[in-house]
Amino acid sequence: MPTLGHSRYQAVFLTNGQTYFGRYYDRIGAYAKIEDVYYLQQVKSSDPDAAPDTRIVRRGRELHEPASRMLIPKSAILFIEDLTDASPIAQFMDRDTR
Amino acid sequence: MSLYDPERDRVRIAGRWLRWSLSWIALPALLGVLVSANVDFRSLPVIGGERLSAVLFQDGQAYFGHLDDSGESGTLTLRDVYYFKNSDGGPTGVAVGLVRRGTEAHEPADGMRINRDRVLAIERVGLGSAVAQAIQVDRELAHASAGRVSLNPTTVAGTNALTAQRVAAEHDIARSWNAAVDQLRKINDLVLPVTKSEAQAITDKAVADLRTVRRNALAAIANKLGMSSAEADAYVRLTDPLLEGPSFANEPAVLLAPDIDAIVTRAVQLYTQVGDAAAKLLTEPKATPAPSPSARP
Repeated sequence: MPTLGHSRYQAVFLTNGQTYFGRYYDRIGAYAKIEDVYYLQQVKSSDPDAAPDTRIVRRGRELHEPASRMLIPKSAILFIEDLTDASPIAQFMDRDTR
Repeated sequence: MSLYDPERDRVRIAGRWLRWSLSWIALPALLGVLVSANVDFRSLPVIGGERLSAVLFQDGQAYFGHLDDSGESGTLTLRDVYYFKNSDGGPTGVAVGLVRRGTEAHEPADGMRINRDRVLAIERVGLGSAVAQAIQVDRELAHASAGRVSLNPTTVAGTNALTAQRVAAEHDIARSWNAAVDQLRKINDLVLPVTKSEAQAITDKAVADLRTVRRNALAAIANKLGMSSAEADAYVRLTDPLLEGPSFANEPAVLLAPDIDAIVTRAVQLYTQVGDAAAKLLTEPKATPAPSPSARP
């Protein structure tokens, strides 16, 4: 059961500056769990002067093809936020997981 | 005589029902909610496939292996460990190469105790992923057994995965050979301080050396795959000519098992050495003989 409970998706900000999006589950013990994880990826534009494009990527297509859930030590979490239904990231994840 | 019958008292009956439903419905339901929210059933050590974990560190490093996080101490233990090295621009086309932990200068024993505070995330590795395939091939090359007595036996690569890695390594070696020969051709197109015939002789010698490196790399692969010397000779004789010609340019990159990757990397290093030596001979002006000093002023 998600800790915050009001939203389907959460943004989990980590101590190393990385952010994961997904369904966050607080658990007893040292780890929290995120299911259906997405993250933002910067893609270099063909124009070297242009700012890099940012796109949202579903975790699972990396070289080790991780399963859809991720355990995160609570000590590595900076803070967690609920995503609103209007959030473009939440809407993308909704469409993508459907 | 009292008409009051406690067995038919509605308040008592309701109380009994309440106590019964509390102990047999509400409490188990609450317990079920708590357990399901906090226990990952897929993580329980029940009989099933291998459980290979990825431990991602806060500094960006990733380690793969069998994770033991059962202790209450601040560390978790990873066994049969593999990790990535940077191979950007390398012959395989994958930006990273896989390394088996234990082959470093200090030859650490198996079992890496990791400070949990340095861990960013833990994931389950897909058994069909490139990382898992390379690890399974590495186990096959090391003649590791699947450990059938284990609840979650380790997976060892089959013939198909082994063949896929061998072919990918051959094509990596061929691609690098093509690149080294192309480089020599480009140097020959320049205006060189040596004569045409000298340039031709240097280039022919270099190409012959490059072929020797390629054949030796194929022989090393055959040796690693456990072929007998006769089989290895036949394999090299058959495969070597097939690698000359095709560019193998648009093939999908394959993450190689550590030992096969080491053979490919070594071949590429030797290609570079041969190419550099030939380039030096082709481009360095010959030393002109110094005028002999005269005996007389």
